[in-house]
Amino acid sequence: MVGVGIEIEKLCVGYNKAKVLHEIDLEINPSEFVALLGASGCGKTTLLKSLSGFIKPMSGAIKVAGRDVAQLPPEQRNMAMVFQSYALWPHMTVRQNVGYGLKLRGVGKGQIKAKVDEMLALLGLSDFAERKVPNLSGGQRQRVALGRALAVDSPILLLDEPLSNLDARIRLLMRHEIRFLQQRMGLTAVHVTHDREEAMVMADRIVILNEGHVAQVGTPLEVYEQPKSNFVATFMGAENEIAVHVSRANGSVELIEQGAVKAASLPVSHEIGDGGVNWRATSAGQVLGRFHSSAAHLVADGAVPAGHLAFAGTVTQLSYPGGVFRYEIECSGQHYMIDDACRYAVGDAVTICVPAGGLHLYSDAA
Amino acid sequence: MSGHSMSVGPGRMGAIMLVAPALLMIGFLFLYPFGYSVISAFTDNGEGSWHLSNFVKAVEFYSKDILFTIAIVTIATALIGILAVAIAGYLTLGENKIAITVLKWLYRWPLFIPFIVSAQLMRTFLAKNGMMNNLLTSSGIIELLAAQSYLDWRGIVITFVWKQTPFVALLVAGAMASIDRTTIDAGRIFGASRLRILIELVVPQIATTLMVGLILSYVVMLSVLSVPLMINAQSPTMLTVDMAWRINSYGDYGVANALGIMSYLFTGVVAWFYLRQSLKDKRA
Repeated sequence: MVGVGIEIEKLCVGYNKAKVLHEIDLEINPSEFVALLGASGCGKTTLLKSLSGFIKPMSGAIKVAGRDVAQLPPEQRNMAMVFQSYALWPHMTVRQNVGYGLKLRGVGKGQIKAKVDEMLALLGLSDFAERKVPNLSGGQRQRVALGRALAVDSPILLLDEPLSNLDARIRLLMRHEIRFLQQRMGLTAVHVTHDREEAMVMADRIVILNEGHVAQVGTPLEVYEQPKSNFVATFMGAENEIAVHVSRANGSVELIEQGAVKAASLPVSHEIGDGGVNWRATSAGQVLGRFHSSAAHLVADGAVPAGHLAFAGTVTQLSYPGGVFRYEIECSGQHYMIDDACRYAVGDAVTICVPAGGLHLYSDAA
Repeated sequence: MSGHSMSVGPGRMGAIMLVAPALLMIGFLFLYPFGYSVISAFTDNGEGSWHLSNFVKAVEFYSKDILFTIAIVTIATALIGILAVAIAGYLTLGENKIAITVLKWLYRWPLFIPFIVSAQLMRTFLAKNGMMNNLLTSSGIIELLAAQSYLDWRGIVITFVWKQTPFVALLVAGAMASIDRTTIDAGRIFGASRLRILIELVVPQIATTLMVGLILSYVVMLSVLSVPLMINAQSPTMLTVDMAWRINSYGDYGVANALGIMSYLFTGVVAWFYLRQSLKDKRA
């Protein structure tokens, strides 16, 4: 079955009187893979539970293929779901688990067997068909859960942090497996996760939630390269923060020398990848700069290339996470994490250089 | 090293001393009287040669009561199982918070009422001119002339079910509350109705607890004297009444013990089912 579109309109959801989701508007296209990303308590699981029907919204609409299902119970929504805890039925075998959804839909025994065999073969579980689920590993269990969800041919697949209980290697494998199957079957998928990288590699679009509001919706490239707010930038890993004084000129931002920061002229970005600053501040003056540790590099001789935000500091710590060295640089009492391929020692005086394309500027910390 | 020292010398003696009081209690209060009963059932009050005449007499006099007893406890156990699953199921899957709160508050009451009081309550409730018929006639559900007494086998079943259902429901509700809630959610999202979730997804997960509760109830009902004595003392009646009768009227411990051993055998059959199921679960 091919996926269908979902439209969420002014959705408000709460527990008792406490509102958790505030007027959420979101459109999910047919066969699209959307990741709901956010910190604990941001409302992403509540949004998924509203979609699945386990929570009834206070107001608003959830339209599936144009029909409002907001007040329908889960059993009437024709959606499939993969749970964080697998939620497999321990008294059933792998075959019975995968086939149960079909049995509920009144499918004949022969058809169920054929479909279950197909699913088990697809997921590499054919040898485990008659095994009870408590006798499977975590990865195998999650495959069974995925097979169970895919077997029912539902147009919408909901994924509630399905990979968070798996070890790192299996998790990487399952990411690609889920994405491959979703694309192959053309399903509309909504995936809840707090893992940024997982959302980036799996989703067509990412919805970043903050305290029950949509902070930004966009492709992985958009939310990573052009975060709209300081919150999104931080959440997407731009952890380094620096206050800078700027003025605006035609198409550029002029950094004014202040403290350790050197004066420079930086172009403003008009589209992703043009190498300009992601200018989100409302006015010139004191603004907040953010950048990823991987966006900057270090120079030892103070030879700063043009079009870079540059400020001097001292190496206080170093580690090797693989591929590059990770340095902690101390500058005017602030600490910055910078990845660089060159080797420096603790105590070395260095200059941090951030290219215009790696810098995000905001008016405030919101 | 410490593992070795635990299994020899003073450590071992200490362990024996620790379990000794419990073992002695079982020995004196259960094994000794049980052994005496067995001997008494197969002899003439523990004297003379071994024979089966007590059992022959028991079957000859009380075969109807044996079948009556098995039928009563089997029907009552089945009804208790159904009602306990229904109550615990509603507490687990129900959505009406008020109904759940009221049910939670109400269903445990009979637990705190002794069997003899329950039997007395039922006498006033189930009699021909009892509360139940008064309610039915006054509300027009039945004619006054159609009112009948339930103080027969039905009364015993109703009393047992009323008294024992809360106990099993309590155990089953606890077990249902502890199963992974997402297994229920998974059933719902795939389209299962509440009833199917209860029967096909929840009950199989708590089957062992349900079975333990039902076996305990079965054993308790086999051993209750007051309920059959107060509700239905006429023939046929339950084996406990017959045992009391043999002892109190005839001082016939031989036949009474033979009937007692039969009760043990009935219990043994269900215990065997339970053990077989437990072993199966462990192997799985």
